[in-house]
Amino acid sequence: MSAIFRCEGLGKQYGGVVALQGVDLELEVGKVHGLIGPNGAGKSTFIDVASGRTAGFGRVHFQGRDITAVAPGERRRMGVSRSFQRTSIFPALTIRDQLDLAAHGAGGGDVEALAAMLGLDRVLDRRAEEVSYGQQRLVDLALALVGAPKVLLLDEPAAGLSVAESEVLATHLEEISAQWNVAVLLVEHDMDVVFRICHVLTVLASGRFLVSGPPSEVRTDPAVIRAYFGSTA
Amino acid sequence: MSAMTEHTLAAPAVTRLLPKPGTLLVGLVVIGVAVVAASSAPRVLASLLTQSVIVAFLALGVGLLIRISGLVSFGHAAPFGLGAYGAAWALSPAAPIAPEIGLLLIAPAIGAAFFLIGLVVSRIEGIAFGMLTLALGQSVHVAANKFRTLSGGSDGLIVDVPRRLWGFRTEALQTASGMLIVAVAALMAVLLALAVFERTRAGRLAVAIRENEERVRFLGYRTRAPKAVVLALSAAIPALGGVLFTLYQGFVSPEILTWGFSGQALIMAILGGSVALWGPIAGALAFFVLREELGGLTSHWLAILGTTLIVVTVTWPTGLAGAFGALGRRLTGTVAKGDPA
Ligand SMILES: Nc1ncnc2c1ncn2[C@@H]1O[C@H](COP(=O)(O)OP(=O)(O)OP(=O)(O)O)[C@@H](O)[C@H]1O
Ligand SMILES: [Mg+2]
Repeated sequence: MSAIFRCEGLGKQYGGVVALQGVDLELEVGKVHGLIGPNGAGKSTFIDVASGRTAGFGRVHFQGRDITAVAPGERRRMGVSRSFQRTSIFPALTIRDQLDLAAHGAGGGDVEALAAMLGLDRVLDRRAEEVSYGQQRLVDLALALVGAPKVLLLDEPAAGLSVAESEVLATHLEEISAQWNVAVLLVEHDMDVVFRICHVLTVLASGRFLVSGPPSEVRTDPAVIRAYFGSTA
Repeated sequence: MSAMTEHTLAAPAVTRLLPKPGTLLVGLVVIGVAVVAASSAPRVLASLLTQSVIVAFLALGVGLLIRISGLVSFGHAAPFGLGAYGAAWALSPAAPIAPEIGLLLIAPAIGAAFFLIGLVVSRIEGIAFGMLTLALGQSVHVAANKFRTLSGGSDGLIVDVPRRLWGFRTEALQTASGMLIVAVAALMAVLLALAVFERTRAGRLAVAIRENEERVRFLGYRTRAPKAVVLALSAAIPALGGVLFTLYQGFVSPEILTWGFSGQALIMAILGGSVALWGPIAGALAFFVLREELGGLTSHWLAILGTTLIVVTVTWPTGLAGAFGALGRRLTGTVAKGDPA
């Protein structure tokens, strides 16, 4: 076992709503770990607690060190990075300027190469508010990727992309996790992407852990099928 | 922001930091116009221009805070007034150091004080920030009235400006035409410095914080100090204006610390707009011209000014700077990109 990132008993309560309860999860270097579940299952909440965006229950370990109390910025400098489901970028800044800021914040990184890889090279000097929604999603992802972090927590990076764009993105994520030796947690609704690139899947439902295992097993698990058909249209 | 990674990133070339040559030329032309106006304009006009340029430092500070941090202040008369009182003190026999040095330290000292305040209030935004600045401004105003021995209370202080400062005769500073040239040159230097600041990584970081502070934190930054730097700049610039005010008037009183004065500066900043750095300066000029013209016609000039402000904010939400920018683009036929200066 070479878990670089370990979450133990993560939980979160919003008022009376238990958004997440007692979820354990481990990420390994070079592997893409899918986190799936119906709408409202607690996937984003999991990333929020694991990344320090919101305070919750449980403990988070990175490279054997307990980072539960470490601020998000410090985590990023250590190599734990995340993207956002609701696009979180800087509309008035050029894409180059914001990626440059991200690189500086992370302690270095090749902005041009990353932009070229994601197909953002031709819009680098445009302001983020001027480019398409799909490109804005890629900027959100690029902000998380700059500086080759060791752990990537990605919240639906393919949401809002066309089928073709999603496929390209999936290929990139596969390459990134293998070549950069990154541990990736991928929250994604696009099942084609999930089953294509994930090595392990964890399923949440109503804030709780349901099952975990190789995609082929999870796909046919009766509990998973019930969770999906029970709560989504 | 660790130092060890600094070398892995190419430092932006100096040329990238400088504004376009055309912009620099405009600055020089403005100084030239000030020289011509100082030597040929009637005294009343020269005096009006000089007053508006000095107050423009205050409007510029207020506008900078709106432009970069999106924060509205109702208390920036405080740094202006503190700069003016500070200059009075630096020129008094009680000053511990030579006035030539003391005068130069005032704006940095007030900037440093506001940096510390900024560290403390970094989480405060919106209306709460406005109320806080109002309270801060009012407490400085009250203090100036209360501590009579230091400030002369509501009577104010007459300042004895020495005949020579930095080897120059100071008489000229107390004439409208002399001060006009000095103040305009200083204002252009401040504008240039701000234009450079906005192009540095620190400047872009400040804008990024206004746009999306949470994401900035997730990119590995602490946001407290950069926000405080902007507040410090927004206070140091009015403080410099306050120093010039004292050198010019030879007199300070709590009138320059009232919330009404802070409010006027805010009106100038909004009238001028924040899409271009120079917007608040245009706003200050417009404010003084309007006051002069309307004040002669009617004693209800403030009501007319209020109406003007409403019309401006409704028809050109981006203020004079935005309107000029749109006009310029239409004249030159370039595509509207909303690109400021
Ligand atoms: N800020 C909040 N305040 C109150 N309740 C919240 C908040 N954020 C999430 N919740 C609730 O917590 C539960 C889990 O939400 P979460 O966003 O984590 O789900 P998700 O699995 O990411 O869903 P989706 O697939 O729609 O993104 C939901 O019931 C949601 O309504
Ligand atoms: Mg979600």
